[in-house]
Amino acid sequence: MKKKIVFYLGIILILGSCYPQGPEYYEDLDVVYTNYDDQYDFASKGTFAIPDKIVKITGELIEGEDPEFVDGKYAGPMLDKMIENMEALGWTETDDPANADVVLFPAVWTNTTIYYWYDYWCWYYPWYCGWGWGYPSVSSYTTGTLVMTLVADGDDYIDPARVWTAAANGLLSGAVDINRVNSSIDQAFEQSPYLNTK
Amino acid sequence: MKKIFAITVFTLFIFTQTAFSQVPGYWSFQYATGFGSGDLADYISKPSFRGGLIEYRKAIKDNVLVGADFGWNVFYEKKEADTYTSGTESLSGVQYRTQNAIPILVSAEYFLSTENALKPYVGLGIGTMYLERSTDMGQWRLKENPWSFAVKPELGLLYEMSFSTSFKLAAKYYNGFKTGQLENQGYFSVSAGFAFHL
Repeated sequence: MKKKIVFYLGIILILGSCYPQGPEYYEDLDVVYTNYDDQYDFASKGTFAIPDKIVKITGELIEGEDPEFVDGKYAGPMLDKMIENMEALGWTETDDPANADVVLFPAVWTNTTIYYWYDYWCWYYPWYCGWGWGYPSVSSYTTGTLVMTLVADGDDYIDPARVWTAAANGLLSGAVDINRVNSSIDQAFEQSPYLNTK
Repeated sequence: MKKIFAITVFTLFIFTQTAFSQVPGYWSFQYATGFGSGDLADYISKPSFRGGLIEYRKAIKDNVLVGADFGWNVFYEKKEADTYTSGTESLSGVQYRTQNAIPILVSAEYFLSTENALKPYVGLGIGTMYLERSTDMGQWRLKENPWSFAVKPELGLLYEMSFSTSFKLAAKYYNGFKTGQLENQGYFSVSAGFAFHL
């Protein structure tokens, strides 16, 4: 009987160990979301403006304080990539937002989640493990989100209105990987063919 | 020639070996594969090689057994980066799709022959199937987990290896009927294992 129980438990353990695994690389968790106002006629427009900085949204800004910005060495290539994509879709950059059909606002924020788990080491009291007794460990992961919005304030709108939103989200690794961010920017424009003015 | 002779002798041995003229009840433990059809195949095209089955059978006639089944198969597929669009919204990224199917059924087996060691049968099961479908994208999970009414037609055979043990091979089709959360979910299964007679 004992042998049978061991045999069946073995089967259960083998099946359990075969349970599919999830993502292996950071980029496997990258997602890009886009949405647009289908009443807005992108094809009839042609000029855009974009700031030369990317603001960091912290949620801790006190009135009167200057916001934080992404370090220029990272923001520069990201802004260049956005301009490159807009121009490839037929848009022309203009320095004065007041004269532009749309303004592209980029922003980033990060979010850190802290979680606990328990490592079990039962010493020579294996029955303690069954009581949920163990050593708590703390870990965390940080996600980053880049948001790009196109805001229009021409004759079509009384107030400026958001006509396109793109959000690229991913798990942050220790090092800044600008290629991953740029791929997400490319993806956001690629899945938004309605932005084409040609 | 030698091969043909060996196969012939083995086949004759199987079909002519005398055995019990009734099929005793049993507990059976089997490894089970799964091949999705319809909506399940559209969602996950890869077959499941992770699965198992526990069956209990009690003899109510010489050639009729009734009992219960408890099974499990997990289907899994990683979908490479793609864009999914609904209305004006688009979302792109890698998707991890997992579907667990856990049928819990009352079943009956009708043996076509009980004279030889090899005993073919037809079977039918009716009960419920718990389905858990998880679509992971980025850090988000979309989950559907209905209980559906289920039926399972089956063809199989028992090969009596000894007084207490038989080898069991079966082909079945599990059908979980449409629920509020999921369409009809069906899969073919081939299972093999041992039956320990009571």
